[in-house]
Amino acid sequence: MHIRDGILSPEVCVVTGLISLAAVGYSLRKLRLDLEDRAVPLTGMLASVVFAGQMVNFPLIGLPVSGHLLGGVLAAVMLGPWAACLAITLVLVVQAVLFNDGGLLSLGANILNMGVVGAWGGYAIYTIIRKWLGNGTMTAIPAAVIAAWFSVLAAAALFCFEFGCSTGSQEFHLRGIFTLMVLYHALIGVGEALITGSVLSFVLSRRPDLISIPGAASPITNVSQFVMAGVVGGLAIAAILAPLKSDHPDGLDQVVQQTGMEARQIERDGLVFQGYELPLPRGFGWSTLATSLAGILGTLVVFGIAMGLGKGARWNLPVIESGEPHGR
Amino acid sequence: MADNSPVVTPIGPCDAIPGTARLALTLLVIVVSSLIPLEHWPAHGLLLVVVFAGLSLAGVTLGYLARRLMLFLPMLLVFGLSVPITQLHRESAWGWMVSLWLRCTISFLAGLWLIHVLPFPELLATLLRWRCPPLLVAMLAFMYRYIFILWDELARLRQAREARNFGSGSWKRDWVTNAQMIGLLLLRAMERAERTHQAMLARGWDGSPKFLGTEARKGE
Repeated sequence: MHIRDGILSPEVCVVTGLISLAAVGYSLRKLRLDLEDRAVPLTGMLASVVFAGQMVNFPLIGLPVSGHLLGGVLAAVMLGPWAACLAITLVLVVQAVLFNDGGLLSLGANILNMGVVGAWGGYAIYTIIRKWLGNGTMTAIPAAVIAAWFSVLAAAALFCFEFGCSTGSQEFHLRGIFTLMVLYHALIGVGEALITGSVLSFVLSRRPDLISIPGAASPITNVSQFVMAGVVGGLAIAAILAPLKSDHPDGLDQVVQQTGMEARQIERDGLVFQGYELPLPRGFGWSTLATSLAGILGTLVVFGIAMGLGKGARWNLPVIESGEPHGR
Repeated sequence: MADNSPVVTPIGPCDAIPGTARLALTLLVIVVSSLIPLEHWPAHGLLLVVVFAGLSLAGVTLGYLARRLMLFLPMLLVFGLSVPITQLHRESAWGWMVSLWLRCTISFLAGLWLIHVLPFPELLATLLRWRCPPLLVAMLAFMYRYIFILWDELARLRQAREARNFGSGSWKRDWVTNAQMIGLLLLRAMERAERTHQAMLARGWDGSPKFLGTEARKGE
């Protein structure tokens, strides 16, 4: 999961580093308002737990390898997205400078993939699913399980994107490695989801008061929640779909070529994302990248439409009075 | 806060370099190794020699180096190979793979040098000097202190787990036991954080971190 130095190009490291810097700075500001003087002990301790929790190996059926917790969503469920983003950042920093696990220069990319997309995005998905299920105490488990799976897959997709940008000028395709990457992380995501779910069910059985209901006092506003959830969901879906899009023309294209219905071409030219590929400069090995990007953009557009429809239709969802968030 | 660290580092020739320069030097080596194209492979070799010299100056033994590389290299080899294997007909992929291996190995060794010559308290001081937000540095210092305590806690939980016949039951039971172990660790840690917070308040904590000794460190 940790990106090593040398895998991403320095330019990509700088860009992801700047994005992470902004995200961590924003989290720090929010956290100061949110937890006040408890920010340092709670976040520092949470980071230590995530760090220690990653040391516990989970056996995998019939395999000599074992999996472990990643913890982004678990941390977000416990203390909210801001503390979780910082906790994951701290874990990554300590792993890099104390154990040489994960790169120094690629720290920004690691924070972006796991801390920002993992914790913020995972929390957004968690909140939305929980609200949708009715905010009962036990709804935290399915919501966290789904969010954990999505966060891992989104991190893998983002890595593929960064990796694609790093090797963008090369003339070979990365579709094969992306497919491997996504398949592998789909499995890791199942493990992460199961671990998150079982740890959370234990915590809920002992101290349900520790897990607050993300209600009206939610640290994320509705709009940004939807945006974050959309980004993560879109990345995850793009991860699954982008490598599957083959080099061959799809069924419709083939029919058009065979029957010579070139007149229909005009109709297709009118589409925004022609052949699911953004019009980027040619001869630069952009093809795979553009496909992925178009996939992500397409998903976001679909999500925007769905959101608009949802707002317009005003579905009759059960309204749950969110009680006092359990302050501790 | 930083001077009570349990880790004692031996004084070596690398300690003569200031902390800031050590971090900057490592980052420089990593960036340079990423920027050298494969055609200039002697430069890669030169960089490897420099990093290796640094490692031996820092007192890293060959056995330790071999153990770390044994864990690191297989993953790198597989990752590098997966690109050309999926497209055998493209020549450029093989060259890219070799250059990836060189880049990553040099960066890994440079990182290994850094963790041997830059003790954590010094890193915190360096981060403060580099205008890192004090709140983040305080969290990092707090985490560094509690990692070892939680590690011990985990060791005790593990011992209790082994004593209760762990690993001889079904796969599912082991899984549940492990999850409960993490859950218990989480609960105990959160309660510990509450107690620590109370203790910090009793000692005048107001939420804004202050670092002792950072002024003295600036002069080094």
